[in-house]
Formats: sequence, structure tokens, C-alpha cells
Amino acid sequence: MLLAKDRLPQLLDHLAAQARVYVPARVGEDTRFALYSSGLEPDFEMVNTSLPPKDLLFPQAQSMYRYGFDDNGTPFIDPVHDSDNTVLFGVRPCDVQSIACMDDVFLTMGYEDEFYAPKREKLLIVALVCNNVAESCFCDSMGLDPNSAPYADIQLRQGSEGFEIVAQTEKGQAALSDWKSFLSDGTATRDNVSCTLKVDMTGIKDKLDEMYEHPIWDRISKKCLTCGTCTYVCPTCHCFDISQENRMKLGERFRSWDSCMFSNYTEMAGHHNPRAGKQPRVRQRFLHKLCFFEDRYGKTLCVGCGRCVEKCPVALDITVLIDQIGAADVAEGAEVLEGAAHGN
Amino acid sequence: MSDIQTTLRTRAAELLSSGEVVEVIGWTAGRFDNQTTPAFITKAEDAESLVFNEYCVNTTSKFSLMERGLGKVAVCVRGCDSRGINRMITDNQLKREEVHLIGIPCTGMKDRKTGEELLKCRECSYRNPVVYDELIGESVTEPELNRFDAVEKLEAMDQAERAAFFDSVYERCIRCYACREVCPVCTCKSCFVDQLAAGWQGKRSNVAENKFYGLTRVFHVGDRCVECGECQRACPMDLPLMLLNRKMIKDLDLLFEAGEAGLDAEGTNPLGTYDVNDVEEFM
Ligand code: SF4
Ligand code: SF4
Ligand code: SF4
Ligand code: SF4
Repeated sequence: MLLAKDRLPQLLDHLAAQARVYVPARVGEDTRFALYSSGLEPDFEMVNTSLPPKDLLFPQAQSMYRYGFDDNGTPFIDPVHDSDNTVLFGVRPCDVQSIACMDDVFLTMGYEDEFYAPKREKLLIVALVCNNVAESCFCDSMGLDPNSAPYADIQLRQGSEGFEIVAQTEKGQAALSDWKSFLSDGTATRDNVSCTLKVDMTGIKDKLDEMYEHPIWDRISKKCLTCGTCTYVCPTCHCFDISQENRMKLGERFRSWDSCMFSNYTEMAGHHNPRAGKQPRVRQRFLHKLCFFEDRYGKTLCVGCGRCVEKCPVALDITVLIDQIGAADVAEGAEVLEGAAHGN
Repeated sequence: MSDIQTTLRTRAAELLSSGEVVEVIGWTAGRFDNQTTPAFITKAEDAESLVFNEYCVNTTSKFSLMERGLGKVAVCVRGCDSRGINRMITDNQLKREEVHLIGIPCTGMKDRKTGEELLKCRECSYRNPVVYDELIGESVTEPELNRFDAVEKLEAMDQAERAAFFDSVYERCIRCYACREVCPVCTCKSCFVDQLAAGWQGKRSNVAENKFYGLTRVFHVGDRCVECGECQRACPMDLPLMLLNRKMIKDLDLLFEAGEAGLDAEGTNPLGTYDVNDVEEFM
């Protein structure tokens, strides 16, 4: 099926009448997935939005439950499960894969997150495969393909004829039957693209498995500021903290993004902090991305979107790190351990 | 500039091999064209990887705190970096004898993508290092500029406009704290933001909390901000942080003759000093 280019606004208007529709757009100085309303111009040309779409499923601050005493003095606890029909329209393959990662975390392994699940259930993912890449894109080194987004409900491929549309899930099929009046028969011709930034992931995980103690972490972490930028712009970083706000007789518990780069992320009662310095924090971030997540869920937690590469204020670049791991001598780590054993 | 780079490499190697310093903090090439990244050189043979060109966007001053106790560290300093060092000495974060300052007069750094001079450099009135142990390169003429242009526009707004402006700025903050981490005068051992038990700063990210963070930080650094502009450069959301800093600086100068921070290592602390003659208009 084909959606002619000039029918796109009509389709978006139609969708916006029944759901919250988010499209990549320039909003003031920002690029983000913006709530669509008639007249907003989606921008499918720009490569990754500075902020990822993860906020839709995993808001930076999300209410969990409200509690307090009602007018009769009776205590109450009311969970908050807000969710709306939502369409994520025109999302690129890396960001689609990031949702697959978040689904793993919040919905699998015997645990279903009651705040994530309703939002996810009502989310329709409409991917647009890439016709252009940025210098910092490296998804095809991370096992992805900029020309396809298999995890999306619906996939669009844009050619001069318009958008070729394929449903890939049941949810997608149901949606397409509703979109019918906007579609015509046809296909779109486009040339496949590939990333210009490449890294070689061969053997990286195996090496990292042996490199928990290794001088490389000291070397690469020196310049890190331990700000939260890389984790906050990352579409797959999903750590959170739980806090509460109390006012008079009412209170609210909420969770909010947290970052393994922050000093108090691992701080425990009595101020014990197993990751007090930057070295263990930087190591944690990269090992989680490239090792631990794979151990648990069978995929890498980096989708190669390049946002951290673009935004890190000191250019601590994950692709450079991967190259350095590739070139590193695993045996050097044993020396560190030996040194530690001798009290050095 | 390539002369500066050559001399820098030579001097770094000499300083390291003579044992005068244990580390040289400067810049090296990044992955992409026209990109540099902070470098920490500890071996004379690695001095060749030091780079100095018009893309050395990172300020070096804060990094000098890292190696305290390990020995003397050489730090490449331009005007902005040197003022940061001075102010850290005033703030008792660093001792002058802990650093060997390699001064480099600066002609302005560029954004690698646009090729344009960085805002922080366009607004800089101290391109020559204000303190150094040795100087590499020729001094440059300091530009004439009014760094309060944007502040005056802010002041000309009426209250409602200004409130709307601050909201529009802080709506976009993601509270990554890059501005704090990169700042040479944000050196509190425990930032008010992180004192969770005291609960000054809520963890929710919204306009009110973000504004509370941003404006409190501006107050905390107001009389010490050396105008290196690194907070604004580091901000992933490009918030106009220097505008707020300069508003504070301008007012502090007007009310307390605070002057410019980091020009020498003595410095003043108008916000931390009580004087019976202080103006009290805001009380
Ligand atoms: S890697 Fe970069 S973005 Fe991430 S915490 Fe360190 S300095 Fe900040
Ligand atoms: S680690 Fe960086 S490149 Fe990988 S998914 Fe996260 S932001 Fe994108
Ligand atoms: S660097 Fe920018 S986005 Fe991050 S906390 Fe500071 S002002 Fe907010
Ligand atoms: S507040 Fe910004 S400009 Fe001022 S010293 Fe800190 S980083 Fe530099």
C-alpha cells in the first residue's frame, strides 16, 4: 500500500482525532518527538531527534500512586495508571529497537511493570526507515539495519512516489484497515542506505567479559564529567529512582529518570557508595550497554543511534571505546588484579 | 596555531621527562574531523598526541582538580581556563603550586559542525591567560565588546514577559547537570541538588523544579563565575545559561562592586561576605 505524500497531513489529522500522535519535528531550538496537531510539520529528514522517544513510555517523572487522608480522615492509596492511545509516527529503526530493549526490561523475565505496560499496550509504532544517516549513526554495526525496522507495528519506506506501508504486527494490521481511505496501491522505490561510522563488534562482548578489572577504565573515564547527558539522551537507558512529594494530607510517589553516572545513584544508607568515583561508573555504563544486557536479554543495549556521541560534552565516544576494547590486551587486566592482591 | 601545537608537544615532553609534572592536561584529536577531546598525558612519548587548534572547545580548568595529591600537573590554559584556575585557588580547591600553567593566547574556538566561532568565545574579553608559568605563542589583542547586550534585552522585558521567558528556557532543561559538572566553580563537596534527605531539590523534572535548580545554581556561582561559558557549551539542550550568569554578574557588580571573577587568585566573595554598608534593597 502507498500513502501519497500530500495525503500525509490528512492521515495525521485523522490519527490525531483518536490518539496522541508524536512525530519528529523541530520545536523552537529543539528536535524531538512532538505532539502532532494540525499544521505541525513533521521533519523526516533530520536524523535523530536530540531527545529520544522513550519519554512516551517511560516519562522523566511518572506518578505511581497518590496517598493521604480523605475528608473523613480515612487513609487511601490510589495507584495512577495513566495511558492514552498513542501513535509514534516516523520513528527510525534504532529508536524502534530501543523500544524492544525497554520492553524486555519492563515486560519480561517474570516481571510486568504496571506503569509501563498500559502505555505500551496503547502505543502504535509506525517506523520510517532511513533515507539518510548522520555522521554519528552506527546502527548497522550494532546488528541493526537502517533500511528496516522489524519490531515496528507498521513500517514506512519513503520514495518519490510516497510512503510504502506494510503492517508487521496484528496491531499494525488493525490500524491499516482504519487508514485505508488514505492509501492507494503501489510501492515506493528507494535506495538502501548504510552508516558511514562503523565499529567492529566482533568479540567485543567476550573481551569485555574478561575486562571488569582493566586499566582501560581508568584511561577512558578520566575525561568523563559524570553528568547525566549520555544516559538521558539515550533511548535505551532506563534506570529510575523513586521519590515522593508530600503536601498537607496528600502525597504522591513517583519515579523519575536516574543515571548510573550520578554519584548518588548507588549511594546507600550510611553514605556507603560502591561506585563513588567516575571509573566504576563509566565502566558500569559501558558494561551494561555491551555486556550485562546481552547476558540477560540476548541483545546489546546500544542501538547505535549516536545521540551520546553527539551530545557528550567531552566527546567520550562509545564508538571510540569499542575500538579501544577491540585493540585492548585483555591480559593487562590480570596485572591490575595482581597489583590489587599485593596491595598496590 | 600549528606552531603553538609543536611547542606544546615539546614542552609537555620536557616537563614529563624531567619529572617536573606527572601529567599534562590538554587536548587530543577526536574521532571526527575538527573534533578534539580532553587529553591527560602521563608519558613523554605520548606528548605527540597533544593537539592545539581552533576546535579545542573544552575548558581544562576543572580537570586540574582530579589529580590532586598525585603530584604537580601541567594544565594548558587560555584566558577562560586560567580564570577558572585562579578562582579555584581563591575557593581553596587548588593550590597554585599544584599546577604548572602552560599559557596559550587564544584566538577563539569554533563549532566543528558550523565552523562558526563559539558563543562563549565571541563573548570573551580575556583571550590571553591571566596567569601562567610559561607562555606559548604571541599575546593577542583583547576584543572590545559589551558582554551585557543580551542581559539588557532581558532587563527590558516586563515581568510577565520575563516569567514566560524563564519558563520557556527551563521547560527544556533535562537536569543532566552537565552545567554543574563542567563548571570550575561548582566545587561543593555535596551539591544542594544531591542532598536528598534535606530535600532542597525535588527529583521531578518540570519547569518549577528545573527553574529552582538553574536559578539556585546561578546564585551559588554568581560572584565566582569566571564567565568561561563552559556550562552553556556543555548543555545538551543549549540553554542560554550565560545570560542568567551575566545578569547576576552585572547586578553583583552594581550592588557590591564585585568586578570580574578569576582575574587574580585573591578574589572577592561578595555573596559570602557581610558588610554593614551593604545595600539591602532586596531584603
Ligand atoms: S560520558 Fe560524557 S555525557 Fe556521559 S557522563 Fe561522561 S561526560 Fe557526561
Ligand atoms: S549508548 Fe549512545 S549510541 Fe547507544 S543507544 Fe544509547 S545514546 Fe544511542
Ligand atoms: S546542562 Fe542544560 S539540560 Fe543539563 S541540567 Fe544544565 S541547564 Fe539543564
Ligand atoms: S557558571 Fe558557567 S561560565 Fe560561570 S564559571 Fe561555571 S561553567 Fe564557567
